[in-house]
Amino acid sequence: MSNLLLKELRLSASPIAYFFTLFGLMFFIPGYPILCGAFFPALGIYKSFDYAREANDTMFSALLPMAKRDVVKGRYCFVCLIELTALLIMAVSMIVRMTLLGDLPAYSSNFMMNADPFALGAAFLLFGLFNLIFVGGFYRTGYKTGRPFLAYIIVVFPCIGVFETLHHIPGLQWLDEYTGEHMGSQLILLLCGAASYVLLTLVSYRKAARNFEKIDL
Amino acid sequence: MSIVEVRKLVKNYPGFRLNEVSFNVEAGRITGFIGRNGVGKTTTIKAMLNLIHPDGGTVWFFGKPIRENETEIKVRTGYSTGTVNWYPRRRIGDIVRVVRSFYDNWDGEAYLRYMELFGLDEDKTPMELSEGMKVKFNLLIALSHRAEVLILDEPTSGLDPFSRNEILDIFLQLKKEGVAVFFSTHIISDLEKCADDIVYISKGEIAAASARDDFMERYALPGESLEDAMLRMEGGASHE
Repeated sequence: MSNLLLKELRLSASPIAYFFTLFGLMFFIPGYPILCGAFFPALGIYKSFDYAREANDTMFSALLPMAKRDVVKGRYCFVCLIELTALLIMAVSMIVRMTLLGDLPAYSSNFMMNADPFALGAAFLLFGLFNLIFVGGFYRTGYKTGRPFLAYIIVVFPCIGVFETLHHIPGLQWLDEYTGEHMGSQLILLLCGAASYVLLTLVSYRKAARNFEKIDL
Repeated sequence: MSIVEVRKLVKNYPGFRLNEVSFNVEAGRITGFIGRNGVGKTTTIKAMLNLIHPDGGTVWFFGKPIRENETEIKVRTGYSTGTVNWYPRRRIGDIVRVVRSFYDNWDGEAYLRYMELFGLDEDKTPMELSEGMKVKFNLLIALSHRAEVLILDEPTSGLDPFSRNEILDIFLQLKKEGVAVFFSTHIISDLEKCADDIVYISKGEIAAASARDDFMERYALPGESLEDAMLRMEGGASHE
């Protein structure tokens, strides 16, 4: 496993994928749809897929002594590493924003979604959808990146819109509560988001491995 | 002893059929796989390496079917396309550091020896290499993990006569070291220079597969060279 990940990190990854994890810091920005912080790392991963494709990584990987299924596994490990790094940055940003910066007027009067466990759970879900739609979609052909990424965009931005809207609906204001008053419920939603991420990624991986096995290189 | 056994390989594409291709690659010998462009050489090699899914037939390496033993067989096999065309902008040293992590049998001494012999520089990138040097880079990787058989797809294609000669000399040297070499080519003089065995493919079918001497005995007319005989055979095939 370590050599699969090493190959992804040292050869296949575009440097922009690492840089774009820093967009997790968007969880600090008031008056802005912070879940876009989950879109940009996905964009970095998309650029990596493009870079690897141009370098003929698929053929290179298939010729190494490993099963085709492991080629897919290595790529999913890389994707998850980038996503979990971005999520970690978001989590730290959220904690700092909810504690040390909690009294800032810019946050208390924020009309947009606040950084809280619900938002982090939503980010998990968006990454899960990315893995299902884009990464899984890529392995249907092993070379097409544009179409699955477009499909992801079509899904992700309405999702961000829905998440941004929810806390304006009467009775759901607690979703945006960042003082810790509804922490228990929000943590449950965070766990649901994390669980959906794991589930969507696993479903995507299994299908991708099956599809890649059938592709003629 | 046959190190590779290809039996009745079939692959159908729209407008092309690889039709029940069968041949052996013998240990410690150089086998030239010859045919004009588009007759199925690369398709055959890809099927041999499990990169495409044949519609029929089997491929065995070291007495084992590749489908069930892909990883183990790849550890003992070296493969290259004519020229390196992956990671053209990464340093050779960086590519090798990744590749060697996949091989328990990586031979660091052999790597340094061939690196020097081939005149390669770890700081260069594949895109900075000449076509001949790219072939050598592929060979370097294969030989550094002590591959017992090299499967090479058109390694001399696009090379100048001097570089071609140099690559073919390397094949002869590898043969002395006990490595089996199977290479595809459309250049008949490559076979004259170094092939022990000839597998001749035409229109997706094996037209002949035998030792070079047997091939000459069976197919060449009196006074004909290998090139004359093959051109005549291929001319006949293309006018059928």
